[in-house]
Amino acid sequence: MRATLPDRRRPHRMAIALGAALLAAPVLAACGSDDDGKTIVNLYYAPEDKLEDVVANCNEAAAGRYEIVYTKLPREADGQREQMVRRLAAEDSDMDVMSLDVTWTAEFAEAGWIQEWTGDAKAEAEDGTLEGPLASATWEDKLYAAPKNTNVQLLWYRSDLVDTPPETFDELIDAANELKDSDQPYVVGMTGAQYEGLVVQYNTLTASAGGTLVSEDGKTAVVDDGAVRALEVLKNFATSGVASTSLSNAKEDDVRLAFQNEQMAFQLNWPYVYAAMQAGNPDLEFDWARYPGVDGPAKVTIGGFNLAVSKYAKHSAEAFDAALCLRNAENQRYSAINSGVPPTIESVYDAEGMDEAYPMRDTILEELKDAAVRPVTPAYQNASTIISTVLSPPQSIDPRKTADRLRKELQDALDSKGVLP
Amino acid sequence: MADTTNKKFGWGLVNALVVVYALFPVLWIVSLSLKGPETLSDGNFIPREFNTDNYQLILDPDNFGLFLRPLINSIGIALISTAIAVVLGTMAAYAIARLSFPGKGLLVGISLLIAMFPQVSLVSPLFEIERSIGLFDTWPGLILPYITFALPLAIYTLSAFFREIPWELEKAAKMDGATPTQAFAKVIAPLAAPGVFTTAILVFIFCWNDFLFAISLTSTEASRTVPAALSFFTGASQFEDPTGSVCAAAVIITIPIVLFVLFFQRRIVAGLTAGAVKG
Amino acid sequence: MSMSTSAVAAASEKPPPTKAVLSEGKRAERKLGWLLCAPAVIVMLAVTAWPIIYSFWLSLQRYDLKFPDQREFIWFDNYVTVLTNEYWWTAFGVTAFITVISVAIELVLGMVLALIMHRTIVGRGLVRTSALIPYGIVTVVAAFSWRYAWTPKTGYLANTFAGDTAPLTDRAYAIFTIILAEVWKTTPFMALLLMAGLALVPEDLLKAASMDGASGWQRFVKVILPMMKPAILVALLFRTLDAFRIFDNIFVLTAGAQETSSVSMLTYNNLIKGLNLGIGATMSVLIFLAVAIIAFAFIKLFGTAAPGSDDGGKR
Repeated sequence: MRATLPDRRRPHRMAIALGAALLAAPVLAACGSDDDGKTIVNLYYAPEDKLEDVVANCNEAAAGRYEIVYTKLPREADGQREQMVRRLAAEDSDMDVMSLDVTWTAEFAEAGWIQEWTGDAKAEAEDGTLEGPLASATWEDKLYAAPKNTNVQLLWYRSDLVDTPPETFDELIDAANELKDSDQPYVVGMTGAQYEGLVVQYNTLTASAGGTLVSEDGKTAVVDDGAVRALEVLKNFATSGVASTSLSNAKEDDVRLAFQNEQMAFQLNWPYVYAAMQAGNPDLEFDWARYPGVDGPAKVTIGGFNLAVSKYAKHSAEAFDAALCLRNAENQRYSAINSGVPPTIESVYDAEGMDEAYPMRDTILEELKDAAVRPVTPAYQNASTIISTVLSPPQSIDPRKTADRLRKELQDALDSKGVLP
Repeated sequence: MADTTNKKFGWGLVNALVVVYALFPVLWIVSLSLKGPETLSDGNFIPREFNTDNYQLILDPDNFGLFLRPLINSIGIALISTAIAVVLGTMAAYAIARLSFPGKGLLVGISLLIAMFPQVSLVSPLFEIERSIGLFDTWPGLILPYITFALPLAIYTLSAFFREIPWELEKAAKMDGATPTQAFAKVIAPLAAPGVFTTAILVFIFCWNDFLFAISLTSTEASRTVPAALSFFTGASQFEDPTGSVCAAAVIITIPIVLFVLFFQRRIVAGLTAGAVKG
Repeated sequence: MSMSTSAVAAASEKPPPTKAVLSEGKRAERKLGWLLCAPAVIVMLAVTAWPIIYSFWLSLQRYDLKFPDQREFIWFDNYVTVLTNEYWWTAFGVTAFITVISVAIELVLGMVLALIMHRTIVGRGLVRTSALIPYGIVTVVAAFSWRYAWTPKTGYLANTFAGDTAPLTDRAYAIFTIILAEVWKTTPFMALLLMAGLALVPEDLLKAASMDGASGWQRFVKVILPMMKPAILVALLFRTLDAFRIFDNIFVLTAGAQETSSVSMLTYNNLIKGLNLGIGATMSVLIFLAVAIIAFAFIKLFGTAAPGSDDGGKR
């Protein structure tokens, strides 16, 4: 027994040495933090192309009062929210300015994670900003974020196959059927997978049919006749024979790629597809129009990002300042042209350089003036999960029954009762 | 002669089947990584034109924080975690397999319990703990959880192997005149080697591929590993999937795995043919 | 003190050990045992003790991060909510189905692979390395490549096998592709453990058996399998525990659509997306209990040796 002990000790000692080295490492890692006198404003933003240039612009404009440090968040919206919520729940003071998807405002505000915009900052944020995006940054009549960019879906169609774009869903289905009969590409692409994209589409249809899903205070599930009508339209479309066979598994890029590869004649998608399709298939002939609605052009759902200031920020005044700079008219113009994100300040739409990069800006502006927001409630994530689950797959919708099921489960979701699917 | 050639041919065929089964989907990833945006969804298994843009993008030294730095993080963190986990696991497994002491059953039970608890709900408390003691976004901040969750598997696997080793051989060698060190090194170690290297491979792969802890316990390239870095890759815009560059990154990070396995699988063979048992 | 030490010294010369030497030796053995296990135990407990306890405690509360004022202690109401909910049981059924089928396939395939890796006489290094590569690929990337492969027009698998229909939109088909992705990815794990178990089967036993006239199949069933039993059971145990917690493949392939969610996905949705800490913690505890029952079944019923439960090493 004694004879074998010395051999055992060798790995033991090594383990101790390694362990000590590991524990020493964080001390070294802690060196080099931002304690060199300058005020740092930490910006946590989704990965947006060329945002570094905007940050550099604002650092110049700050003239030494503060420096914005840009930390990237994951690509997917869910990932971004997860990262930020984790820190906010732990009252982390590392975040100052954050990028919030338009649907998160109520949730973050109710949880006490973001600061209200008041006084001069509020006035500047509201000045010249379009109504739709501004509504998405508001909760209980208070402004909680400054809109930075927005997004609306358009109808994209093959200009070599279609002369006049349809204005309603019925016309859309008819046009597609005509193409189908003449043996040409006819499929209509829509993001029908069980995820947020489906909620966006359904919200557009409901708003266009004059319906409501959730009451204004975000506490009651309404799902009225307009919502039922929207369900009928959706079901009609899914079973019409002109929707893609992958409808219930399609997300934005799947639809874009299929259209780009000439498998589709129409697609309902965000403006990003313009640059993407030009790069992917330069010879493709396509055009755009307003999103078709129920009885006329649709009230399209707004997307986009707002900038909010964290409750736990160390330097609030500088944070508000930085946020206002990042989303001012000049920087919005830069981002629109270089990063492909539509602006929220109306005057930017006529600015220099917008017509080559954004030929569809007029259509976008038109839609923005008649837009719809998704249900405004702190429990939006719950609501969205329920809606996308109940409506999937779109082919199995039974308008009356689905509406009843939706109303009941949506109410549970808003009350934060029960289990999410 | 013909018999051996036939046998070789037969085995060659079987090998080919295994390689195809294992590598076909991998080749698909390679193929996706070599396609440009125009041909990405054309459904061809072999790209019509080879486009190395994706590789150039992620290996560009100007984009150091995008992929190269996470790669270094991954290599360092995985190697250190594997080394420590195997050492600690070997010690514990030896004790469990060979010695009797009270609390043995409890230890095994606890390590199994840890292996079984869903990690998704441990992440937030871990995040808070690491933040308060300053380990967040550091190498040790990832190494410690990796060791923790690799240990149950390591202990279980190693003790299963250690149980099979005939320990009397050690006594026999010593009676033949070997010193304790020689007895251990020449008789026991080769028998323990297959188990140790098997465990090392499994632990390394676990640390290398983990995503949940990497995304939750890091925030900058200081300690972010490659699986987490993949979710920061962007296409040209918010909705475009950066399929090409993600696949290129996947191909590159598989190479260390291949090397690691190639290196260790020979050790397993060496351990088996050491021949101590067959005497 | 010195008396017992000299007693030990004296006793180590004598062949029959006295009682005093045994307890001294036993104490040393015990000390050594604890010493060797201590680092591992300390690391594991330091990292997980608080988070696990905290999770149990959370499961007894109604706690939704979005409505912090509504936090209250509700004992086991969360458990009632979850256990009477249809979504939970659907996910549970899907998870159990996928677990049983994929582990069964992996066992057979893994055994075949292990035999090949062990016995092949040409290109050993190539076969062993390539067989392990699927396990080494980042799971989300592999899942992503399967998703692309099964998308109509874009993917070679969809074009070859599915014609016009989209496989991932049909529930049965989707579960099949999930199982396929799981099996492809983790069979090497089984194969590796089984191969190392194979390596411990003594060659001469097999030679003796073949000289006695046993066929290849008989040698396999009567000699190899019984000797591999410990390795097989360890591989099965860990693989089953992991399979029950499947997440990545489902997340990428279908995101749980068409009722293909697993219990892990459900927990993720409620905890991370829904920010309902109470329900999320409850589901974690329930998953833990389910997995514990599986482990218990393996150990007690199938006789997976909990290492150290017998003095197996001391022959």
